[in-house]
Amino acid sequence: MTAQNGHKKVSPLTKPAQRLLCLGIEGSANKLGAGIISHSPSPGGKATLVTVLSNVRHTYITPPGEGFLPSDTARHHREWVVRVIREAVRKAGVRMSDLDVIAFTKGPGMGTPLQVGALVARTLSLLHNIPLVGVNHCVGHIEMGRHITSSTNPIVLYVSGGNTQVIAYSQQRYRIFGETLDIAIGNCLDRFARVIQLRNDPSPGYNIEQEAKKGKRLVPLPYGTKGMDVTLAGILTAVEGYTNDKRYRSWDKLDSIKEGEDVITPNDLCFSLQETTFAMLVEITERAMAHVGAADVLIVGGVGCNQRLQEMMGIMAAERGGHVYGTDDSYAIDNGIMIAQAGLLAFRMGQTTDIKKTSVTQRFRTDAVHVTWRA
Amino acid sequence: MTYEYTAPSLLLLPQSELIKQGAEARVYSLPSLLPTPSIYWPPTTPASSSTSSTPAPTPVILKHRFPKTYRHPTLDASLTKTRLQFEARALARAGRAGVTVPKVLLVDEPAGILGIERVEGWSVREVLGGGAEGEVEIDHAEEVEREVGDDGPAAATGDEVVVESEGLAALTNLGVSQQDLMAHIGTELARLHVAGVIHGDLTTSNMMVRLTPNAAHPYEIVLIDFGLSANGTIAETYAVDLYVLERAFASTHPASEGLYANVLDAYAKGLGEKKWAPIELKLKEVRMRGRKRDMSG
Repeated sequence: MTAQNGHKKVSPLTKPAQRLLCLGIEGSANKLGAGIISHSPSPGGKATLVTVLSNVRHTYITPPGEGFLPSDTARHHREWVVRVIREAVRKAGVRMSDLDVIAFTKGPGMGTPLQVGALVARTLSLLHNIPLVGVNHCVGHIEMGRHITSSTNPIVLYVSGGNTQVIAYSQQRYRIFGETLDIAIGNCLDRFARVIQLRNDPSPGYNIEQEAKKGKRLVPLPYGTKGMDVTLAGILTAVEGYTNDKRYRSWDKLDSIKEGEDVITPNDLCFSLQETTFAMLVEITERAMAHVGAADVLIVGGVGCNQRLQEMMGIMAAERGGHVYGTDDSYAIDNGIMIAQAGLLAFRMGQTTDIKKTSVTQRFRTDAVHVTWRA
Repeated sequence: MTYEYTAPSLLLLPQSELIKQGAEARVYSLPSLLPTPSIYWPPTTPASSSTSSTPAPTPVILKHRFPKTYRHPTLDASLTKTRLQFEARALARAGRAGVTVPKVLLVDEPAGILGIERVEGWSVREVLGGGAEGEVEIDHAEEVEREVGDDGPAAATGDEVVVESEGLAALTNLGVSQQDLMAHIGTELARLHVAGVIHGDLTTSNMMVRLTPNAAHPYEIVLIDFGLSANGTIAETYAVDLYVLERAFASTHPASEGLYANVLDAYAKGLGEKKWAPIELKLKEVRMRGRKRDMSG
């Protein structure tokens, strides 16, 4: 976006004097991640060199038809956390004592899994005498997306299993312009994947995307945009309802469908669900863009990997003369490096979290964070 | 021989000027829907008498809901059709109930075109001068170092300069304060809701300030863009409508969030205690509805 009455704002971040290392620990849902990032002064001296040294992740995968429960997820995290962090440190080629700061996810997310990450962060902090920074998970996604795509001030669509938000930056806050009024888009897709017994490996959303490619028929579903907000729960109920329809044929009966027969397949339902919900997301993003006057979109979060969503968003952005920036699955899906990136930015502004205040919280709004590192 | 049908109203678009690409539609401006009739032939005749008798042309806004290619065509067609119908109906209904809205001049459903009266003035958003527009940050990746010595203070004074908008200046001249303006918005919204119309996308961009020099009141608030409107049914729908505006205020005008209270006060007064009470209750409920909201407050 170009300035209309154009005064430029100077970034408040100062160049680091020496290489700074940050370990990020993420475990707010079923992914456990650890990553090490470095910010160092570039040889020329003008810019800051941001390098991802390692990004390790392990995902808790449940059998088809089942979601991940908080206690089981926490058990998975406890089992894997040492291995994941050790691997991250080994891959980065640094020693634990080289770290300048440890960042952990403070929230939002599932309580028990979050506690695992925070507990480990506290332990490491005390063992090696390294300061801690608590990071908002959503801000982590945004900062990593901004870094990877080098998009300076885009409208951010944050779509994942737990979040659906349209965000624009203004005056040191990531302000939420629109969001879901009930369930998140990823949750909607995951739950439908369970209804039609799709596998959770590698992720239910990915499997829905693949099955949707074979869908031909668009079944009518409710379309729920309210201003810049969306509502998804009703759509999930409606699409589930089609599995009880007389015309519905489940996976095992697909071969017996005769040519020209009036049937609804699981593929059709995946297709219809994606087309309808993604159209809603693109629409609210477009509305926010028109409202703020931005041209570029950045998609972050796990659902952001979906090619169809990226394609639809791309068409919309191109029509408005802008670009869509997507991240690939190593950064879109929850990971430790994004926590490290956001944590290190805060650390460079002099923020640390006292160990007494390193509790986690399940509710932590994106707009509750004071973004000191941006002008 | 093949023949492709083009809706006649689509032919108006090349003659008009594109003024805005909104979220939903392209908005065009046209001096008038029909050319000024010329009664004399040949038209070159200096018809000094005829020009004085023909009425001044009404400037028109054409709202073209062009096909959204990102959407499935079936979904797109049905959305365009229902939204156009709703918009035209809501405008007509609001107008009948005495709410200041643009007049509907043309409805072409298959072409997706709605022609409405053009409103001269400024949007409330422009008047309040809010939003992320016009702010540009230096690329975070470049991270140009800040030289505290001479750049710091200069940048700070640069930030102090508040550019007053043209609309605000005009209103200030008329002796209208921002509080008055907010109260006026509230009253207008109350009138809309009493008429049973839900706007659906209340933002400060969707309210225009039009000066009315010859009327009793020096200006009026014109509500525009009824593209997401619906019929009001229960308190819930009205409360959600207000909540959308509340959020728009918070995100677009973070500095003047307090002004929104004036809107609500005037709205409550306009509605009357009996109608306001259930909506107020619902509004509190709706505010708590966003995800992951702090539960401490």
